[in-house]
Amino acid sequence: MRVNTNMVPDILADLQQSQSTLNTALQEVSTGKSVTVPSDNPAASAEMVQNTMESANVDQYTKNISSVLANVQQASSTLSSVVTSLTSAVSLGTEAANGTNSSSNLSSIASQVQSILSDVVSDANTSVSGVYLFGGTASGATPFTADSSSSTGYTYNGNSNSNSVQVGDSLSVQVNMPGSEIFSNSSGSVIGALSSLVTALKSGDSSQIASATSTLSSAITSVSQAQGFYGNAESQLNSQETYLQQDTVTLTTQQNNLVGVDEAQAATLLSQAETDNSAILAAAAKVLPNTLLNYLSAPS
Amino acid sequence: MGGLNTSLLTGMEALDATQAALNATSNNIANANTAGYTREVAQISENEEELNGGNVTGGGVSLDGIESVRNELLNLQIQQQTSLQSGADTESSSLQSIQTLFSSTGEDIASTLSAFSSSLSQLSANASSSASQESVLTAGENLAQSFNSTANGLTSAQSAADQQVTTTVAQINSLSQQIAQLNAQLSPSVVSQQNGGTIEDQRDELVQQLSTLTGISVSQSSDGEVITTGNGTPLVMGGQSFNLQTTTGSNGYQQVLDSNGNNITSSIQGGQLGGAIQIRDQVIPGFLSSLNTLASQFATAFNAAQAKGYDSNGNAGQNFFNLPSSTTGAAAGISVAITSGSQVAISSDGTSGSNGNVTNLSAALTSALPSGQSATSAYANLVYQVGSAASNASDTSTALSQNILQLTNQQSSVTGVNIDEETTNLIRYQTAYEAAARIISTIQALNTVTLDMGATQSY
Repeated sequence: MRVNTNMVPDILADLQQSQSTLNTALQEVSTGKSVTVPSDNPAASAEMVQNTMESANVDQYTKNISSVLANVQQASSTLSSVVTSLTSAVSLGTEAANGTNSSSNLSSIASQVQSILSDVVSDANTSVSGVYLFGGTASGATPFTADSSSSTGYTYNGNSNSNSVQVGDSLSVQVNMPGSEIFSNSSGSVIGALSSLVTALKSGDSSQIASATSTLSSAITSVSQAQGFYGNAESQLNSQETYLQQDTVTLTTQQNNLVGVDEAQAATLLSQAETDNSAILAAAAKVLPNTLLNYLSAPS
Repeated sequence: MGGLNTSLLTGMEALDATQAALNATSNNIANANTAGYTREVAQISENEEELNGGNVTGGGVSLDGIESVRNELLNLQIQQQTSLQSGADTESSSLQSIQTLFSSTGEDIASTLSAFSSSLSQLSANASSSASQESVLTAGENLAQSFNSTANGLTSAQSAADQQVTTTVAQINSLSQQIAQLNAQLSPSVVSQQNGGTIEDQRDELVQQLSTLTGISVSQSSDGEVITTGNGTPLVMGGQSFNLQTTTGSNGYQQVLDSNGNNITSSIQGGQLGGAIQIRDQVIPGFLSSLNTLASQFATAFNAAQAKGYDSNGNAGQNFFNLPSSTTGAAAGISVAITSGSQVAISSDGTSGSNGNVTNLSAALTSALPSGQSATSAYANLVYQVGSAASNASDTSTALSQNILQLTNQQSSVTGVNIDEETTNLIRYQTAYEAAARIISTIQALNTVTLDMGATQSY
């Protein structure tokens, strides 16, 4: 049988093949990625679209948590100072109600309670970077403003809605309680109770003082409830943050599995491809120039 | 007639035959690297014996001609595989450029879509921050732009394929004409056995080139070679060629017509032409339609979510995205309708601090569109389609080129020039020529001796 001695096409094909393997190996080592275009691994590329989306979301959820957490913590500490103020107002009221106080004493207590009222209103108007914490969703307007026509002396300018922030694909956490529920709700208005205590103290009527004090102490409950709500939100956010950290690890691992390269394997492949390539080149250099002419003496 | 003159004649014939063989050998060596060249072999046969005065003497040698060695079956197989390979190659190179549109570059839809999703999520935490609102607007603009640029990339790949159709048809026509001319020279009345070889080589080489352009089928008839496209449209019949034509079709792309004006575009397969038509009329339109459906359904869902809420100015949410009137062109034409971040419908109750509607906006990205898939899944699916089309085309092309390499090797082993063989032949014919020349000189010497007989007494 006649043998094809033209090895050029074979050698060229082999060289191209090994060159392309070498290029791929080099690219994998230098980029650290085994998938750079969809055709490298269509299924992995498609999963990467989901992964990119989820990673971006998880990043953003984490950022959301830290920005929301600041507000929640601020609200929580504000409410504890409100509770402290109210407690001292209640003890002042109790002291005033025992009927042994002189009118000058009562008026000094009245001015103390008045200043507590201003503190509580200022606490209720707390804002973080321009956003009022206790205005419901109407967070751009000062929630409580002085209003002489109102029985409590203050008007609530917010609304009774609340915002929820998405911190997971299927988890939204309610991050605020409207001020109407905390400071001026139907079961006992904190601001209203404080105002009537001031009025009662000014009038000097012990029974009125006593009734205003008892209304005030029951109003503390709604503030404590709000405190509980914020504490709950805070712990929910914290545990979600931990979960998201784990999720980030999972997503990164998945990403590595999908498109990453095993460094050791990639390096081995590269050196293998290098060896292959030089072997083919060496073989070609040895084989190609060989013909019978090399061994025949030139015609004399 | 016998005697010395017979031997002189035999020597002459031997010189002629050996010269022809040397010609063939030197021509083989000269064309060792010529594409399409098939090796030539001098056909030498012994002459009839002669009867001289009761003695049988050899009649010498004669040259029957120089024949090219070829294998038609292998030629046909190679042509067929070449068409398939070149079609797959054309698809592959177009898909290679298309798939970069779908690679993770930061400008691709996957990146901009997730940035858009993040910006919405950020808005949920900072509903009244105008920076967050503006970033939703910017992310929306980027998303619309990446839809635009992906659609434009696909369309321009389609136009490139369309351009290829026109140029390939022109090349096919030019090759058909050349082949027909060579066929005319080869037709039986003109043929002389001696040069039939090289013309046939040239023709086979042209047919081979033609097979890279489109799928062809080759057969022989009484008029010579007949070449048709895969579906039977004649290109060459003996000495006559039939030009294909192109005309702009109703879809704005070039349609291929046969010489009678029938549209044969959809039946063309294989070769650069088949590959370009496949890419232009099947592959890219498939991708574009998925992309358009995605753009249109996503934008519609997002606009509907906008309508459920109120923007930061307290107005009912207006359309976030503008869409062209028809789904065709949705991806290329999508743009952002609103001009300010404050027009993003964040609020569910009309107050500027509410983020109640952000959930609806985010849900437009994550919940199922009318296609049954979420925007992300639909896009992931498209990426998978593009990736697997590109990898299939390149795998097919690689596999077929292995086939072709093997067939070519097989063909070379039959028809290729082997330098070692030719060198050996060269030595063989050199020796034969020297020996034949020696016959002439010996006879000449003997003739001289014979003529001198008795003229000079040297002894």
